[in-house]
Amino acid sequence: MTFDSNAFLIIFTGALIAISCGFLGVFLLLRKMSMTGDAISHAVLPGIVIGFFVSGSQRSLEVILGAGLLGILSTLMIDALRKKAKVQLDASIGITFTLLFAIGIILINLFAYKVDLDQECVLYGEIAYLPIDLWITSSGLNLGPRITWLAGVNFFLILGFTYFLFKELSITSFDEQFSSAIGIPSKGINLALMSMVSYTTVSSFESVGAILVVALLVVPPSTAYLWTKSLIPLLRLTATLGILIAILGYYLAYWIDSSIAGMMVAVAGAFFFGSALIKGNWPLGLRGTSKSSPAFDS
Amino acid sequence: MITQVPNPILEVHDLTVSYDQQPVLWNVDLSLPAGQLIGILGPNGAGKSTLIKSIMGLIPPTSGYIKIFNKALQEVRTRISYVPQRESVDWNFPASVLDVVVMGTYGKLGLFRRPGKKEVQIAQEALEQVGMTAFVTRQISELSGGQQQRVFIARALAQQADLYLMDEPFAGVDMATETAIFQLLQDMARTGKTVLVVHHDIHSAMNFFEWVIMLNLHLVASGPKDQVMTEELLRKTYGGKLNLLTQVTDLIRKQDFNPLKS
Repeated sequence: MTFDSNAFLIIFTGALIAISCGFLGVFLLLRKMSMTGDAISHAVLPGIVIGFFVSGSQRSLEVILGAGLLGILSTLMIDALRKKAKVQLDASIGITFTLLFAIGIILINLFAYKVDLDQECVLYGEIAYLPIDLWITSSGLNLGPRITWLAGVNFFLILGFTYFLFKELSITSFDEQFSSAIGIPSKGINLALMSMVSYTTVSSFESVGAILVVALLVVPPSTAYLWTKSLIPLLRLTATLGILIAILGYYLAYWIDSSIAGMMVAVAGAFFFGSALIKGNWPLGLRGTSKSSPAFDS
Repeated sequence: MITQVPNPILEVHDLTVSYDQQPVLWNVDLSLPAGQLIGILGPNGAGKSTLIKSIMGLIPPTSGYIKIFNKALQEVRTRISYVPQRESVDWNFPASVLDVVVMGTYGKLGLFRRPGKKEVQIAQEALEQVGMTAFVTRQISELSGGQQQRVFIARALAQQADLYLMDEPFAGVDMATETAIFQLLQDMARTGKTVLVVHHDIHSAMNFFEWVIMLNLHLVASGPKDQVMTEELLRKTYGGKLNLLTQVTDLIRKQDFNPLKS
């Protein structure tokens, strides 16, 4: 076991990303929209490619804007398919994100000769390269790893978002009709949440990739939900899990010399299955020691 | 048999609502007096919930308009309270009884502001009114159907509104609770609040409502209870199928006898 500044930076950044995703994931879970997070993380691809093409760099504002717009577009599309065309929610999610993702792949191939971007780089990030990817200002000042800055800004944005809109987020998650009736803009809140998910996906795709970010949106909140039935403890436990996942993920990956992001998600999965074993409603012989609680949507 | 009133608290003008070009409410035109306990009766699929939802602006009308306190809905939202059907939410949501009732105060709080001591106080008073003080810290997933319904009513009370729209607040509620809630609603009406309730049971409707609206896609009747609760209008509302029901109602009226309770 080693602990140096690089290890600290990777764990720190991983924890920031895991907590940001976890906070958003809690509200997605409560709205039964976890798969919408999945859809968004894939649907942002064409936005990333277009932003990249326009600006010529994957670190530009255009990329974030493009991805954000596509994220919102995909939520609107899912909603429209469901409400206007009467397609089932799961089917409309499946149709929307695969279509947008396919357009993204076509665009990458079309522009491939011009830009340095490929599917691999979007789908699988690599957090281990973080300490060598430094943000150096034009005057030559070294400000530290760029991705850590990105994750930090993202983290404080999500923290502010959940803090200031906590009341609105919780009431629209619980009872959308009632919140519309008393004048809380539930559609606006929903779009804001979806934009946050898009933004988080983009700012995390370089480090953990577009696929593993989905796991961080879904798994820690679902694990925490097995243990608590109140909202604030749910957010706290999700954050704690995020930190644990980053630490254990890093050292286990270090130990067997493998992907850190992959190991983080594997650890998250292990936490989930452990919790499900203890809290789940198993037949007597398989049951853990604690009292069982009702499943999520029973 | 449609009675219009001067200076109505709620005016529904020529309202038609349709889902997918299929009209579910036809030309509903009514006006309601303030300070009364008003029941909306009608068979399943008559458009009772649709009427309440269009009043709350949750469903856009195909034609017609609605005026509340002689103003458009947007201007008076904080003065209107809404109790949705109990099944419309997931009761496994991680919240306590108090959390849900405090939500009633959110409309007046506005964006970004957090509920404080005053809002908790309001919520606790509302819970006291529906007799749920003992359950303040209970998780909502651990409540019975009737208790959930009372939490929803408490949330509406916490809104401190002038007009209350309740969508089947008595579904799954036992007789004793129903009577207790009805008495609470009557007290509210006495202090000048207007309470509009979608209801199923004709017998208790007879006992508690002062004004009755009968709906079956069209508006069949709207007026003081004594004038509209007649066999003819009930039959018109429920159709020939519910002959038995009207006979029972007649019997109840004549003999003051209640087969449902004995």
